[in-house]
Amino acid sequence: MMTLFEVRNVTYRYNSRQQRPSLDNITLDINEGRRTAILGANGAGKSTLFYHLNGIFKPKEGEVRYNGVPLDYDRNKLRELRNDICVVVQNPDEQIFSSTVESDVAFGPMSMGLPKEDVDERVESALDMVGMLDYRRRPSTQLSYGQRKRVSLAGALAVRPKVMILDEPTAGLDPQMAREVMELVDQMCCDGTTVILSTHDVDLVYSWAEEIIVLNHGELVYSGEPEEFFSDPEKTAFAGLCRPHTFSINSYVSEISGKEQTPYPRTNSQIVAKMAPEGSKGGSIRVVPTKDDMAPADFEGTVGVMGYYSKKTVLAKGIRYDYMFDALEMCMQDAVKGMDSLLYCDESMVNLAVDRIRSLERFGMKVEAIL
Amino acid sequence: MSKPYYNNPDAENLLEMRGVTYYYEGNKAPSLSDVSLTIKKGVKTAILGGNGAGKSTTFYHLNGVVKPAEGTVLYRDIPLKYKKKHRRELCSHVAVVLQNPDDQIFGQTVLADAEYGPMNIGLPKDEVQERARSALEQVGLWEKRDSNSLQLSYGQRKRLSLAGAIAMHPDVLIMDEPTAGLDPQMALELMELAEQLHHSGMDIVMSTHDVDLAYMWADEIHVLRRSEKIYSGKQEGFYSDRELAYSAGLLAPSMFQINTTLCGLRGIDPAPYPRTEPQLIAKMTPGADRGHLDIIKVEDAIDGSQVSELRGAGKIVGIYGTGTRKQITESGIGVDFIFGGFESCTSQVLKGRDAVIFCDPDCAEIMEKKAKELSEFGEPLDYSLS
Amino acid sequence: MSEQTQMDTLAYSSRMLEWAPLGKLLFVISVLIVNIMTESILVPFVTLAIGLILMAYSTNFKIPFMIALAILEAFVILIFGAGVVSVNGDMSDPAIWDTDFLWMHFHMTETSFNEAWLILLRGTAGVAVMLSFATSTPIPYMSLGLKQVRMPVEVIEIVVLIYRYAFLLLERMEAMWNAASSRMGFNGKMTSIRTVAAIAIGIFIQSTNLSDKSQVALECRNYRGYFPVYREPAKTGVKWILVIIITSVSIYLFGMYTSDWVNMAELLGVA
Repeated sequence: MMTLFEVRNVTYRYNSRQQRPSLDNITLDINEGRRTAILGANGAGKSTLFYHLNGIFKPKEGEVRYNGVPLDYDRNKLRELRNDICVVVQNPDEQIFSSTVESDVAFGPMSMGLPKEDVDERVESALDMVGMLDYRRRPSTQLSYGQRKRVSLAGALAVRPKVMILDEPTAGLDPQMAREVMELVDQMCCDGTTVILSTHDVDLVYSWAEEIIVLNHGELVYSGEPEEFFSDPEKTAFAGLCRPHTFSINSYVSEISGKEQTPYPRTNSQIVAKMAPEGSKGGSIRVVPTKDDMAPADFEGTVGVMGYYSKKTVLAKGIRYDYMFDALEMCMQDAVKGMDSLLYCDESMVNLAVDRIRSLERFGMKVEAIL
Repeated sequence: MSKPYYNNPDAENLLEMRGVTYYYEGNKAPSLSDVSLTIKKGVKTAILGGNGAGKSTTFYHLNGVVKPAEGTVLYRDIPLKYKKKHRRELCSHVAVVLQNPDDQIFGQTVLADAEYGPMNIGLPKDEVQERARSALEQVGLWEKRDSNSLQLSYGQRKRLSLAGAIAMHPDVLIMDEPTAGLDPQMALELMELAEQLHHSGMDIVMSTHDVDLAYMWADEIHVLRRSEKIYSGKQEGFYSDRELAYSAGLLAPSMFQINTTLCGLRGIDPAPYPRTEPQLIAKMTPGADRGHLDIIKVEDAIDGSQVSELRGAGKIVGIYGTGTRKQITESGIGVDFIFGGFESCTSQVLKGRDAVIFCDPDCAEIMEKKAKELSEFGEPLDYSLS
Repeated sequence: MSEQTQMDTLAYSSRMLEWAPLGKLLFVISVLIVNIMTESILVPFVTLAIGLILMAYSTNFKIPFMIALAILEAFVILIFGAGVVSVNGDMSDPAIWDTDFLWMHFHMTETSFNEAWLILLRGTAGVAVMLSFATSTPIPYMSLGLKQVRMPVEVIEIVVLIYRYAFLLLERMEAMWNAASSRMGFNGKMTSIRTVAAIAIGIFIQSTNLSDKSQVALECRNYRGYFPVYREPAKTGVKWILVIIITSVSIYLFGMYTSDWVNMAELLGVA
């Protein structure tokens, strides 16, 4: 695993009169391909930190290294850097400034000076991924909040960055939209993008992140795997946070019933698998990679659809489905209940789906993933 | 003052919509279509729905800012009238707290903003001041009364916007996405405040898409989907119909999902439905050794030495209530749980530890009620109140 | 406030959206000029017909209520103006109608009567032609079209950005307006004035916040000081120039030929 960012003793003040620095002597590493989350209460310094990663802010002390090379704050070098690292801010209105959907998404690729055909192809595929292709000629002023959020994501996707930093990606979105965005995040990860989330939503972070960076008032409180942090209630409270509910329930129930806390369940299906009575038999999930010439599977049980390409294909072919968002978790919950289900899945996401399904075995329930 | 129009204190229904339809200017599709719902007195109600389902249009109908194209809205069984004096009267009965506090703060200083509403109704000066003071005290911002409202943190601005609404002395407070944008501790604090207000007799209606929050809090829900109402009643009924919930863009709350699935596997009755962590823990670990919970009312000042003595004896100490929290943060007395005190302490009790909750005097009843609710999920909770 | 957003919605759904914006503008301007170049009262009818046909094609005559109201308002002003012209005839000419009302002296002559009709018809025709343009050309299209006549890029970008933020601030304003009325902020004149002031301050602060944050967001997206244009609006080519010249010239010739065909005063039997 390669270290992508090395943040070394970074201190930052917005102005010299500021008593308490916004970032105070921060040292941490962010690894390539690891799902990393920056966690902290409002005003903890989350955005100040990620704006250091793409060179918007220059540290007053210390340095930031990207791929082992200290950031060069020369204008042209910064431009190159920002073609590698995209930031999507929380409020899409701050980020969308073109008058139509497609022109906004085209902004990034065009700024990179790509030829017209490449720009076209990128705009189309980015809008397709967020499900907004039909809206490409629509003015950005006539979009709903959820649609604006999708457009701002598409704008970043079209740049095809190596690193994607998302600030509070699910804030203000209803459950359906939130799950769709998180599925998109998973998709980016599967396509090889390193994704960094910045949020105060502990439940979201816990179900997603492999590594967390916790900040409080500009200081680094913790960096590492989530469980170790949440096991320390004082540290959690100090950082202005709470424990994720799956973590909390697992830790109490395990302690009371004298079981091991490990392995730590992170999703609802995992916690159910762990707490299920011994000998419960799980169902199976058939994972079907979606293809253009696919025929509807001969299947009776519930059907889920995961990934943008699968959604498009299933809808176009009029194939029967039950779950269109949060499909993997829904299928896993059915499997935990002993039911069989089928999951149409984008080819790039098959491995992820199979890994997650097989993870249930660690929690004491065998659920078969049939390819 | 002329005779009040909305004078029906005995009415059972607080707010009601009958066949309300509404179109935004220039729009052909209605943003509310034939919506009927009843909000009863003393029942914690949530209006649930995805983005753009029509939640905010609904609450602007309930406080009379928007007049329906068809149908009627009733307050205490009296149909709303939209003349200026009627609207003025209704505004002091039904207040709204918006999601974004910046949309709602009109005063330069904290005090000026709290006084804004009462002053607009035309109350006498000393009453305006009195209302502003008590509202600011309730949300814990009285000490900051002279600060510029722009220099407050996001959480403080949120509480200020709440104070502005409380100062109208409403019977009903409608909160739009109350915890959006707040970090976990601030969210817990705000919900505690809502609980306290509800207990003091102010009915609270929440408009949200946060199913976990609504599940924890509401007795009854009304669900909107694309401008239509698709469900009214108890939450479990709605989430049991998984397809219905899914079609509204909502997922079942985690507590509900975990409980129903586990009960299915263990072959036990999913009811009573746990809605908080301790309730679920109690239900899933029957027969374990439990500890004892002490609820202590803080009449005047909290005693620091008593707290450290209790903690020295191995007891877990938590707090509940705005007043007590303020004392703790100001005095620097160390306790185990400042936020979510009841849930955290009772989880410890379920684990066999003894715990003590210090709470505001007016919260003792809330604590007792919660303790009794928790007792329904297994062995009765061993608690005492002093 | 809703007029602006509705006009925008209308323009974006127009069937003439993709026509060259500059061409449309030049066409409208030249038709407007020709409209008043001759004295013929038949010319405004031709222009009006052009305007109405274009508008019908552009919007299918699905004109929102608020905009219809605005058109009506323009029409009322026109009628009033024409009325004033008609009763202010040259005193040396014989009157067809002459009366005193309060301190005013009304003197209508055949010339002034005809002139008033001409103004009314020209005005109505003008409004129709201009509307056909306005309902089919959103502001961003227009400003991009201006690029073709070497309008500085900076100006165009400012127009586009103002246009974009105007909508966001309108949204905020609506939210604040509703919040204020929930707190009885429009109860009485003084209160309303204070509330409007508070909203103005609020909008100002929110807009500075927004612009600060947008600045950073722009930088994150690698803004280089200009917005590349993804889809250039259709160019105003030879075809457009030809259409414009042919239309203008034929209307002009038609006007010259018919300039004294119709006398409204005679036609209506008042002379």
